Amino acid sequence: MHGGIKMKAILISIIMVFVFYSSGFAQTLEERIKILEEALKKQEQTIKEQQKVIEELKTEMKQGKPSEQQAVTPPKEAAPPLTAQETEKKSTLEQVQQQVQQLKEEVGQVVEAQKKNILSVFNPAIGLVGESILSYRSRGSNETGSDRPGGFDFNQRSVELNLAGSVDPFARGYAVINASADPVTGEATAQVEEAAIQTTSLPWNLTLKAGIFFGEFGRLSYIHDHELPFVNRPLVLDNYIGGESKTDGVQLNFLLPIPHYVSLTVGVGDQFGDTPNAVGNFRHFDELNFWGRASTYFDLTPDVSLETGVSGLWTPSEEDRGGVFVQPDGSILTERRRLVVGADLMVRYQPLRNNQFQSLTWGTELLYSDNRYLDNPTGIPGGPVFNRDVGSFGLYSYLAYKLHRQWIVGCLFDWMENPQNNADKTSAYSAWITWAISHWNQLRLQYTYTTHNALSGLKNDNAIYLQWAWIIGSHAHGWQER
Amino acid sequence: MLSIILLIGVFCAGARPAHAAKIRIVATLTDLADLARNIGDDLVEVHSLATGVEDTHGVPMKPSFVPMMNQADLLLLVGFECEHAFLPGLLEASKNPRIQRDRAGYIDCSKGIIPRDVPKSTEHYAGDVHPYGNPHYMLDPVLAKTAIQNIYNALVEFAPQYQGEFTRNRDAYLAKLNAKIAEWEKEVKPLKGVKFVSYHEHWPYFADRFGLDYFGTIELRPGIDPTPRHIEELIAKMKVEHVPIVAREPQFPERVPKRIAEQTGATLITLPIMPGGVPNTETYIKMMDYIIHTMVGAVQSRK
Repeated sequence: MHGGIKMKAILISIIMVFVFYSSGFAQTLEERIKILEEALKKQEQTIKEQQKVIEELKTEMKQGKPSEQQAVTPPKEAAPPLTAQETEKKSTLEQVQQQVQQLKEEVGQVVEAQKKNILSVFNPAIGLVGESILSYRSRGSNETGSDRPGGFDFNQRSVELNLAGSVDPFARGYAVINASADPVTGEATAQVEEAAIQTTSLPWNLTLKAGIFFGEFGRLSYIHDHELPFVNRPLVLDNYIGGESKTDGVQLNFLLPIPHYVSLTVGVGDQFGDTPNAVGNFRHFDELNFWGRASTYFDLTPDVSLETGVSGLWTPSEEDRGGVFVQPDGSILTERRRLVVGADLMVRYQPLRNNQFQSLTWGTELLYSDNRYLDNPTGIPGGPVFNRDVGSFGLYSYLAYKLHRQWIVGCLFDWMENPQNNADKTSAYSAWITWAISHWNQLRLQYTYTTHNALSGLKNDNAIYLQWAWIIGSHAHGWQER
Repeated sequence: MLSIILLIGVFCAGARPAHAAKIRIVATLTDLADLARNIGDDLVEVHSLATGVEDTHGVPMKPSFVPMMNQADLLLLVGFECEHAFLPGLLEASKNPRIQRDRAGYIDCSKGIIPRDVPKSTEHYAGDVHPYGNPHYMLDPVLAKTAIQNIYNALVEFAPQYQGEFTRNRDAYLAKLNAKIAEWEKEVKPLKGVKFVSYHEHWPYFADRFGLDYFGTIELRPGIDPTPRHIEELIAKMKVEHVPIVAREPQFPERVPKRIAEQTGATLITLPIMPGGVPNTETYIKMMDYIIHTMVGAVQSRK
């Protein structure tokens, strides 16, 4: 019941925002009025000139008439016919007068329209993304370790409200508010996924971002779920980062002032991904997260490009705040230090002439996790504990072929050593087909086969996903979407 | 200490005086780049993000554009949100305050042009509409003169000491263009009232200028590929109205336009929408020459 009321409140809020939304045409109306007014002035000037010409012609005609004294009362003669030139000028003048009248009416209408009080004229750009996933998994969650049930499942994974706008001449702000189903209760909960300010005018090729945002690590960690090239985030990112690279902090990006593209990013913040996730009592500096990425790009040919980067994430200490992992053998591992390094590579063939209709993309990331855990082998609170360092590798690699503007087919290979136990290995093989009905409406059908080795205690399973993602409202093509 | 010195060196190497030897211009599309070269001549160094073969709405956001834009003095764009699919992201990555939206170096070449086909709604049922009107005014050479003036004004404002040179170059180019416009207006007489369809709505300004009847588009809506029903309906209407020309822009696949042409008996022609879109159209004038010659040739060959 409580959850139902919450959901209604969220829906009503979203509807209220859209009722007052306008895409800020006031500025456009002002410009149009100005253009129309300028055109009107030009037309009026033309009329004056035409009238002057007609007056001159009339004067010439009068001067050419015979004297009245000479006539005995000559019969009334018809007015001399206008020459072809005079007729054309008269016709042009009438047309111009008509056009001026029409222009006056149009300007009047536009001015009246602009007088209306549009409350929403100062609203930011607003868009809403919805993402639904219908799935079937051959095994239950107790056998797969998934946070979604086995069998048939319908998951409204995202209802994402995006807001963006200029703060002032020096910065932009944006927010992403996402409502998704709580994995435990199934009820929709809204949370601020991102809300950050980003500078636009710093010198020395710097950009500073601060707030809640997805930190730049690798290539796909900071991409929202519905924008991934496949249905689910790769296993290695889910397990080593903890899903999206959400952080509360500050990030600085530097573009090297050289002709070749090299981008450097460093950041510091609290939480990164899913850990550390507890507030804690007193946070020392070494309990924050530090991350960085260096990336570069090459045009191998006009149609083939390569983008590569290296990333690092370091949480020196997670005292009392680290994630707690219960192992299959009953032992408990508490994360005390996190270190993840990664290398990413994307090679793309995208013929310039056909770039909307054809491309082939190979993307891959290799990660190494070197975490320290406090190991409680017995699992009994207060039992003997000792530090354990675990080094694990993981990677994903995918190939996506766009064979038409609307159709993409692809395959994905996942492989991962458990970051808590590197002898526990998982692989997944996926194939998908995406139908982009339009730019804002797409369906994706994906099959995934996941295998585990015996250590995890989990079972292999088959899964089919049908994902439907859609967008309404404003949709900007940010730098991340390249 | 060595690292700090090297870092300072990198910063200094990147810094440049306010007015370097040449004015660095980045144009989004090749037509604006060509105009800028003609007006600026030796005083400018012009780069175009597009090469001419791309869809104007789908120029890829390549990181290799970023350093170029980072160093630009002026950014020339068509405007009317023509570049909405790639320019905002590139501007964000460029970190160049001079050329950000509405700054002095952000030159919207549509200023002064009254747009056609301003949509009543920007809801997506209408497709990927341009909220400020059809942006493809550069295919009308008379309206292109407004873009020339906007580029000229921007150059003069940026480097007033070269106003004399810019004025001479502009006037020389306008004289050349005006002569070509007069020539084209004579050449297009066979096109008066001729109906044609194209893949995307690139041609309303061109059709208006040269007296053609722009019958429709193969796309269902802007940015929405045609459905089978739409193709059948278009074919039926074209047969009733005896539409003789199907114009395909080279960035769209040939299959559907070819099928429509075959089923209606129309002549299929390929027309560039930017200089460089097809061979031998490297400049704006050459591109317009090609478009007009091809259209006139297609109509005359049917007679």
